[in-house]
Amino acid sequence: MTVRKYGGFGKAAMIAALGMTTALAGGAGAEPTTGFSFNSFGLPGLIDMPSAEVRPDGEFSSTVALRDGDMRGSFSFQILPSLTGTLRFSRSDELGGGDTLKDRSFDLHWQILSEEGWRPAVAVGLRDMVGSGTYSSEYLVATKSFGPRIKATAGLGWGRLGTEGGHGGGTRPAPSGDGDINSDMWFRGPVAPFAGLAYAASDRLTLKAELSSDAYLAEVANGFDRKTSLNIGADYKFNEMIGVGAYYLAGSEVGVQVNIALDPRNPPAPSGLERAPLPVRPRVAPGADVAGWSGAWSADPTARPAIQASVADALKADGQLLESMKLTATGVELRVRNETYDARPQAIGHVARILTRAMPPSVESFTITLVEKGMPTSSTTLQRSDIEAMENGPAHEILAKTTISEAALGTAGYDANPDLYPRYKFALSPYLDLGPHQAGEDMRADVGLQFKGRFELAPGLLLSGTVRQRAAGNIEDGTYTPSLTSPAVVRSDIGLYKQEGDLAVQNLMLSWYGRPGDNLYSRVSVGYLERMYGGVSGEVLWKPVDSRLALGAELNWVKKRDYDQHFGFQDYDTVSGHVSAYYDFGKGLTGQLDLGRYLAEDWGATVSVDRELANGWKVGAFATLTDMSQAEFGEGGFDKGIRLSIPLSWAQGKPTLATFDHTVRQSIGDGGARVNVEGRLYETIKDTHVGALYDDWGRVWR
Amino acid sequence: MSLKRAIPAALLCALALGACARDSAGLGAAPTGGSLLAGSLASALPGRKAKAGAPQDVATIAVNALAANSGPVLLAQFDGVPTPMVMAERGRNGAMRTFISPDNRALILRDGMMAGTRGLGRDLMSSETAESAALIGARKAGTAKRVQYYLDGDGLERPLPMTCSIAPGAPLQQQGVTVTPVSETCAPAGAENSYMVGADGRILASRQWIGPRMGYLNITQLRD
Repeated sequence: MTVRKYGGFGKAAMIAALGMTTALAGGAGAEPTTGFSFNSFGLPGLIDMPSAEVRPDGEFSSTVALRDGDMRGSFSFQILPSLTGTLRFSRSDELGGGDTLKDRSFDLHWQILSEEGWRPAVAVGLRDMVGSGTYSSEYLVATKSFGPRIKATAGLGWGRLGTEGGHGGGTRPAPSGDGDINSDMWFRGPVAPFAGLAYAASDRLTLKAELSSDAYLAEVANGFDRKTSLNIGADYKFNEMIGVGAYYLAGSEVGVQVNIALDPRNPPAPSGLERAPLPVRPRVAPGADVAGWSGAWSADPTARPAIQASVADALKADGQLLESMKLTATGVELRVRNETYDARPQAIGHVARILTRAMPPSVESFTITLVEKGMPTSSTTLQRSDIEAMENGPAHEILAKTTISEAALGTAGYDANPDLYPRYKFALSPYLDLGPHQAGEDMRADVGLQFKGRFELAPGLLLSGTVRQRAAGNIEDGTYTPSLTSPAVVRSDIGLYKQEGDLAVQNLMLSWYGRPGDNLYSRVSVGYLERMYGGVSGEVLWKPVDSRLALGAELNWVKKRDYDQHFGFQDYDTVSGHVSAYYDFGKGLTGQLDLGRYLAEDWGATVSVDRELANGWKVGAFATLTDMSQAEFGEGGFDKGIRLSIPLSWAQGKPTLATFDHTVRQSIGDGGARVNVEGRLYETIKDTHVGALYDDWGRVWR
Repeated sequence: MSLKRAIPAALLCALALGACARDSAGLGAAPTGGSLLAGSLASALPGRKAKAGAPQDVATIAVNALAANSGPVLLAQFDGVPTPMVMAERGRNGAMRTFISPDNRALILRDGMMAGTRGLGRDLMSSETAESAALIGARKAGTAKRVQYYLDGDGLERPLPMTCSIAPGAPLQQQGVTVTPVSETCAPAGAENSYMVGADGRILASRQWIGPRMGYLNITQLRD
């Protein structure tokens, strides 16, 4: 086994950071100013007006605001401590010229300055910055606290927020309307002042009032009665997660609102509601077990299988599987499949403590190799004396004595655990599928049952599949028109798959994972790879265990499947492939660049950035530019979107590897489309490598 | 969507929420998205509290606990919770002893001082209490530094350093044993720990602060 020196990640710095950073109590200097309440657009603010506040870092929130003839639903994410992003769906009978307007819009809100001393918090925002621009407006706003309970807000608005009492600025350009970013409109046209006051009457109740600079021009034309600029409202929080609000708008309209806020740092269930780990059993004095300490036990041929069986049993009770073991008189190396703990150091800590209870005293060195899909991905070596001396101590102390290295390849010297293969695993569970977004249409969704099965034939060789049966929903009632402009319809007809897939085979494939060499990982998948494509997909990844950089290459030959998603194919087939670079910037920020050929035989590049909090919450954004023209792509011009992944352990307080994932695209076109094959290599191994192990190391004694 | 199809579908979903899963390797099933939603909604409902079992007579619990375990046993009870947890010693590593309850929650004591908790949620991950322990064991007044470690919302280990003032009270006679009450008040957390220390310096009973939002645990050593 090779022991590597750390290149990419500073171990000493990490240990220091783990041990001695900010103390639990007491904040650090300039924290962003977080707000009391949401406005009707789902952002920090008053009723319709924004404030300069933000939400707690990483918070995911959702609001629904309703009044007669108007509904707004929003999803927001506090992307960075000072940057909020919002995606909103709205329906209005007062807009859209006699018809009901169905609109989707996107906002960004950036707190430039946090409140400090006499200085108020200052924020700038772009509301409905892309597309049709129904709510398009920009603002510059300041918010100042007076004591812990009163916050005053004043600002300047453009666009919709510059329509009441607006001055100067000339004519505001019209939105382009083709799904592009409307940057030529921003901060143009008349500008109007707005102001407001929020009063936290108690920890739960907030009262608020504002002078709105939104004239509601289009709504007034359709019968909305705007008697006054004064809007008043009240918010009531049941707990940190759920609140309701009511407001009186323009002296004529009553509205209600529901707010749900999921703070990744403040989970609904406290983490750690799991079984306590087995404690360390220290070794007896050498005189009390002479044969054990001398290593003479290893000459007994029955000792090794008996020890291995007891370790396998203890691991199984702990939610882990022993793949194989290599035991000598002085050291043990195990390959373990963690199937429970999303924080891998917790899995490692449990294995180490189990070993202190099972190994004869002469076994001093423990090497725990994590195995993902049959591939050994990283080895953590601990000395038994350190485990005995540092049990339940600060995590950074044992980290200083820990070596994390490239996993040894091959099976030489390892005794495979019998009866593990073939292994089958299946589950029946409900699913929710959202219909594709279509401009001017309602949101559609289906629910149903899915059957997921996995059959593991040997380490790294597995057959997996998912079959779904729709039970209820309205996706089938929609009308889905594939792109008429693109050179090849490769993704824009996803609606037809969702509509016609009744008892659909989502995927059914044979995958083979391997380690062709040091720092190298490989995957080959054959079969029905995703709901729209079947074929062959191959991938190679280079990723040293302690490197921030990873490089990969992927090549696919795929054929388009029939809309019913049974076993037939359509005529279209193609070769696509990419070379990829991944970089771990630290603090949970990962960047990815893919260059290559996409499904419509267009060439181009995808840039993605993902932010993962140490508790597993992940939000990312991606954009793909290819040689397909904007006219061929259609609405939106090119493929871009955001994705969110919430670990279920966050909601339950119990460790599990399951996550809830969702991707939202601005619009689905045929340019920049990739095969959605499950289990790509980087995401498979990333959490077992040094960066992620350090991030979660605090759980090693949990 | 017809009602005829919706009803059996809903029934099936309800069934599936109860996790229909099988694994030939015998590991538990992963939770589903549905159980996530149900779990988070349930815990978000206002006024929902964990169901407290019928309060049992502590003396009966103690007698049963001693009968069921041959080794050291303690009772641990949160402030305001009617029933204590019975915990039996399952590990001993130097001065550190791990007591585990039948439902797999653990308390780690070092010379009777709280060194950690596991499986309670918002656990005390570790603590450095040597200075306090020396004064309390000797029943001497003085000032001591202690550090308690927790995981923050990001899963990072955070120290909570405290300065504690320790004050012994007048010795008492309890059931023929001389015990000295000792108080330990720690700033800035405002923790007020109290200990009953035997003549040999061992802590026989205590009330110790676990951490933010966890409160105090009352610990009685039934058999040492």
